[in-house]
Amino acid sequence: MALTLQKGGNLSLSKTDPSLTKILVGLGWDPRVTDGAAFDLDASAFLLNADGKVRGEQDFIFYNQLRSPEGAVEHAGDSRDGLGDGDDEAIKVDLTKVPADVDKIAFVVTIHEAEARRQSFGQVGKAFIRIVNSVSGVEVVRFDLAEDASTETAMNFGELYRHNGEWKFRAVGQGYAGGLKAMCDQFGLNL
Amino acid sequence: MTTLAPGANAPLAQGPLTATIGFTPVAGADLDVSAFLLDANGKVRGDADMCFYGQTIVANGAVQLSRVESGRVVFCLDLDRLDAAVEKVALTATIDENKARFAAFPHLALSVSGGIEAPIPTQDMQETALILGEFYRRQGAWKFRCVAQGFAGGLAPLATHFGVEIAVPTASPPATPAPVPTPPAPVSLSKITLDKSRASISLEKKGDGDFGEIKINLNWNRPTTSGGLFSGLLGRSGGVDLDVGCLFELQDGRKGVIQALGKAFGSFDNAPYIHLMGDDRSGAVRDGEWLRINGKEWCNIRRVLVYAFIYQGVPNWNATDGVVTLFAPGQPPIEVRVSEEGGKLGCCAIALLENVGGSVKVSREVRFFQDQQKADQAYQWGLRWSAGSK
Repeated sequence: MALTLQKGGNLSLSKTDPSLTKILVGLGWDPRVTDGAAFDLDASAFLLNADGKVRGEQDFIFYNQLRSPEGAVEHAGDSRDGLGDGDDEAIKVDLTKVPADVDKIAFVVTIHEAEARRQSFGQVGKAFIRIVNSVSGVEVVRFDLAEDASTETAMNFGELYRHNGEWKFRAVGQGYAGGLKAMCDQFGLNL
Repeated sequence: MTTLAPGANAPLAQGPLTATIGFTPVAGADLDVSAFLLDANGKVRGDADMCFYGQTIVANGAVQLSRVESGRVVFCLDLDRLDAAVEKVALTATIDENKARFAAFPHLALSVSGGIEAPIPTQDMQETALILGEFYRRQGAWKFRCVAQGFAGGLAPLATHFGVEIAVPTASPPATPAPVPTPPAPVSLSKITLDKSRASISLEKKGDGDFGEIKINLNWNRPTTSGGLFSGLLGRSGGVDLDVGCLFELQDGRKGVIQALGKAFGSFDNAPYIHLMGDDRSGAVRDGEWLRINGKEWCNIRRVLVYAFIYQGVPNWNATDGVVTLFAPGQPPIEVRVSEEGGKLGCCAIALLENVGGSVKVSREVRFFQDQQKADQAYQWGLRWSAGSK
């Protein structure tokens, strides 16, 4: 059964679904039907060490770098407009392949050119981000961006983190001004 | 107080609400405000789901367009009374005939009772139709979201977006309905202005002959109290007192006049089935004066001549800019503007309503007379006139 997560909520994925080894983070939204610049949302992932920083550039998985070297995290490709039902962007994580010195994986949603286009999540029809057990197809958690992050343009949705040998998920729901660049700075990646 | 940027949402207070749309009017570009009741797919279920100047009460009164003034429109909403099938109520603004873009309206704002403010950022907007905001259900409660998105193409793409079929206005009056039941005619959202190129129109016939409550509004320029151009023209007392009135003739031959001068306010429920509402002596009540005709009794009425006369003040018809608008339920509003100069003549016969085989034929007159008695003579009404007062 899918759970809807409020900000700051803590959810142990292992406990709700002990069979977790592979998860999918799905980002979806409706294409813009009113006039104006298209809504182009982007999902990204940051592999982080115990200090909450990336080890190097290879730890930033996004539309221009779709795969981490050891294959733990893989981005399915960029959607520029949200056309199509269901997930418009997806990031797949194989929890068994995550390197030992990676303690956390942060998932981030941003709106491309949000400032120039004067857009925020609340304007984007049915924008959501979710986590699915990609082995069973069961949706484990979903966050309604349009409703609960309505004035944000970039958000740290949540993070997977290791704890006592299990993987847990913490919803963060932290908005950032400054878009993807601000997120990169936050995680120690200087582009 | 909560101020919402486009995309932001807020919870609502329980119970009936008002939504007020405020703007600075732009000469030559009428701004029309409407509400659409939408299902789970974001579409109307039918024409009855649109609340606008041609249909001000919908959903058994749950949504009403309650006040239209220059620069201010107010809706009254009782969301809890809406059918479960209605998931959203969208408030929209459209610029009539795309005569300007929203960039020309810098002070457009929506506010909802309970302290919600949503100023609409219109800078550089190329749109001519906008969804200002929407009321929507979420987890059993109603919320409000500021939207501020729309269409450069205006009313047509906006209506399509909501699943409304728009009638393209044609020069000829609508055809009589076919005997076989046909799908309901699309509602025309355009105003019809009677002018020299089209001087008359008939209201679409209703099967049962009931035209509903036909409201006739007389509105005109009200000069501001601070003076300026008009105070010089109109004398120190300021304000033109323009009155609406009508001559009526019933099918059984009874005739008379309805006007405040002489205190003949008429009656809605009984003959002559025409009622004059109140008396706005200064134009301070900003939406002018109203006549109501009981459209259920139209079969008993032969003709009605609607006129305006200047009770106090110097006639200056050009500056007065009088306009008579006829509202009938389910019909587009019909407008007649007094665009000619009437000189020193105090009475202007503006529109004539005639019962032609059961239909309501509205004709633009705009003919000036010294007074109502002279108008009576010109139209061969045959009433006896004497001096009166209000």
